[in-house]
Amino acid sequence: MGRVDFNFKPAVPVFDANVELGRRHDQRNLKDTPEQLFEEMSQAGVDRALAWHPNGAAYDSMEGNLILQELIHGDSRLVPQFFCNPSFDDFNVFTRSVKDAAVRSIRMVPQYQHYPFRESVVGPWLDWMEREGLALWLPTTYTVFGNTTELDASDVYDTIREHPHLNVVLSELDYRNVSWAVPLLKSLPNLHMEISRLTIADPINRFLEFMDDSRILFGSRYPTSAMAIHLYALHHMGLPESTVRAICSGNLERILRMG
Amino acid sequence: MQDVPVVDFHAHLGNWGRFGMLDTPELFLTCMDNAGIDVACLNCIFHGDSDRGNDRVAEYVRKWPTRFVGAAFVSANYPEEMVPELERCFGTLGMKFIKIYPHYVGVAHDDPLYFPIYEFANERGLAIMSHATHYFDPPSVSVYKRYEGLVKRFPKINWVMAHAGGGKRREIMRAVRDFPTIYVETCGSRLRNGGVEYAVRHSRADRVLFGTDMPLFDASQQLAKVMVCRITDEEKKMVLGGNANRLLKLKL
Amino acid sequence: MQDFPVVDFHAHLGNWGRFGMLDTPELFLSCMDNAGIDVACLNCIFHGDSNRGNDRVAEYVRKWPKRFVGAAFISANYPEEMVPELERCFGSLGMKFIKIYPHYVRVAHDDPLYFPIYEFANERGLAIMSHARHYFDPPSVSVYKRYEGLVKRFPKINWVMAHAGGGTSAETARTVRDFPTIYVETCSSGLRYGGIEYAVKKGRADRVLFGTDMPLLDASQQLAKVIVCRITDEEKKMVLGGNAIRLLNLKL
Repeated sequence: MGRVDFNFKPAVPVFDANVELGRRHDQRNLKDTPEQLFEEMSQAGVDRALAWHPNGAAYDSMEGNLILQELIHGDSRLVPQFFCNPSFDDFNVFTRSVKDAAVRSIRMVPQYQHYPFRESVVGPWLDWMEREGLALWLPTTYTVFGNTTELDASDVYDTIREHPHLNVVLSELDYRNVSWAVPLLKSLPNLHMEISRLTIADPINRFLEFMDDSRILFGSRYPTSAMAIHLYALHHMGLPESTVRAICSGNLERILRMG
Repeated sequence: MQDVPVVDFHAHLGNWGRFGMLDTPELFLTCMDNAGIDVACLNCIFHGDSDRGNDRVAEYVRKWPTRFVGAAFVSANYPEEMVPELERCFGTLGMKFIKIYPHYVGVAHDDPLYFPIYEFANERGLAIMSHATHYFDPPSVSVYKRYEGLVKRFPKINWVMAHAGGGKRREIMRAVRDFPTIYVETCGSRLRNGGVEYAVRHSRADRVLFGTDMPLFDASQQLAKVMVCRITDEEKKMVLGGNANRLLKLKL
Repeated sequence: MQDFPVVDFHAHLGNWGRFGMLDTPELFLSCMDNAGIDVACLNCIFHGDSNRGNDRVAEYVRKWPKRFVGAAFISANYPEEMVPELERCFGSLGMKFIKIYPHYVRVAHDDPLYFPIYEFANERGLAIMSHARHYFDPPSVSVYKRYEGLVKRFPKINWVMAHAGGGTSAETARTVRDFPTIYVETCSSGLRYGGIEYAVKKGRADRVLFGTDMPLLDASQQLAKVIVCRITDEEKKMVLGGNAIRLLNLKL
């Protein structure tokens, strides 16, 4: 008989590294309010979530980031992540807004926003992030209107190599990106991965063969996915509790310096 | 933890390097044990010569007869081989149902090209799993009419729509409600919010089959989609194993 | 230089970083002054919650009442909010017409989903601007029939096809000729040769409205398209401002 757990709750603290909060312009998400998010967190057993607002990618980082703060409304369960478009945003205004909001991580979608992720474009921004200890999230894909743009792996390798002290998280890594993500993670020790879209068989152990568990982060990609799916799976993959704990909250706390 | 029969209706053999898909018996059995899966139904669709993959499936079933069940893959690119290979699969190889993959042929599965397979299956009351929609379908295609035609012509076949049909879900759920020989299978890469609830609520709980797409996808994650969704525990048990047990007469 | 009223029917508020589109009042006003535009009709379509953008539009109109006119944007992704937001826009915010953007909803604007908006507009004789065709339209769609249906059902609405209906075609021109409540608006990134001549000669000069798509596109360039094309000066004056003044009852 198969053994399954109908009354599952996570056995460790959980800090979700990938939550989209708020309304999109291009579609109506199944859930788009803070109240719905809190309800999902409480049902799934998620204590805190790193949240971003889609307007930052679609139109205007500064405005999306403001709406995000408005929606979070100082609730400590939600940690804001700011979008940045280094080819459009004003460096001084943007860096000040990050400082004022005590934000610890930045999200960029270069292909969707039409700039190359090269040192010549993003170098000064990454230098600043390195100095300030800010982490960078790079979604491997970003989808608007059903059209998906994919991160350029060669650009990521060339550019991140120049910033060895910057913590970088490849998020939404999916099975189509595994072929380039594996060699990238092998060669860049400051590169991490977020697992919301990593659906290959036995995903965590496959990556633990060549890297340690401090570089893997749980993220749900709510509201596209249900929050509890990966949590159930992480507890049923034969992983030691210390690894589950690191993936579910410890690593994200460390990267965001929220220990 | 509860003990219930869990059957994965949709698993593949073969490596698929470009997607990092690795097939070893150890990986399979570890993933199944971690997720709590008793039996996985295996097919191998990676060869133009169907017998190559079917032999590999049969080898797994022979080595681990309590853990694996075989599904016969027949390629419609070689129509003359379809019925002989089916006879071999359901004779010496002891397969339990049929898997077809119209993507490789560019011809939808309601085309007469497939009828020799269906006549074979209809005589024996077998199940057939296929995607319900295809990349080459015209946008106007009616999945409902496609299955209505098939169900009427081959009333003894049980039709399993892989990936819960993959698109056109309203129409698909209506087909499941209207025709008692249609099933939907749950695996998908997107881990979409609400997908399994939708299938159970809008079609019928006794016609939803848990599947993983292992080892392209992970067993525990795909199982988690069923476990954390908002249906009753009884419905979860049907989806996880009860329905497959009944459909394939597995005696779990 | 000649002095006559110039109205830009189609301008947007909001930054759009991925296209370098920058929205500041200074940029707007200097572009308008350079081009010789008196009044720009503003809408903001960048938010899932329409009220956010409409508030921003109202703020510009309040600060520069002689230079800007507001158009209410309503998102059909939130149907329950459509009419309350329209009431707010045409009540306290003093908007002059309606902008809808079916792209975000993937449902064409002749669908009943939009009828609450149209009933509101029909009762008040308002204008509505929308793209006339959509990326998700089947290739067989007839723009003529789409508008024929809308015009008959909602006779008091004036329909403005943004971007001259998405490529001025014989069908668009015929629609304008046959139905007196249909207008086309001129902005486009292509700066195509002959587009405005075509709209004026094959459609009707009193139903072509100058628009810029500012600040995505430049005001002087879009205005130049009208200035350099081979229509009469009287026709140019109608396109550049006369028609919009009549349609929106503007007092310039």
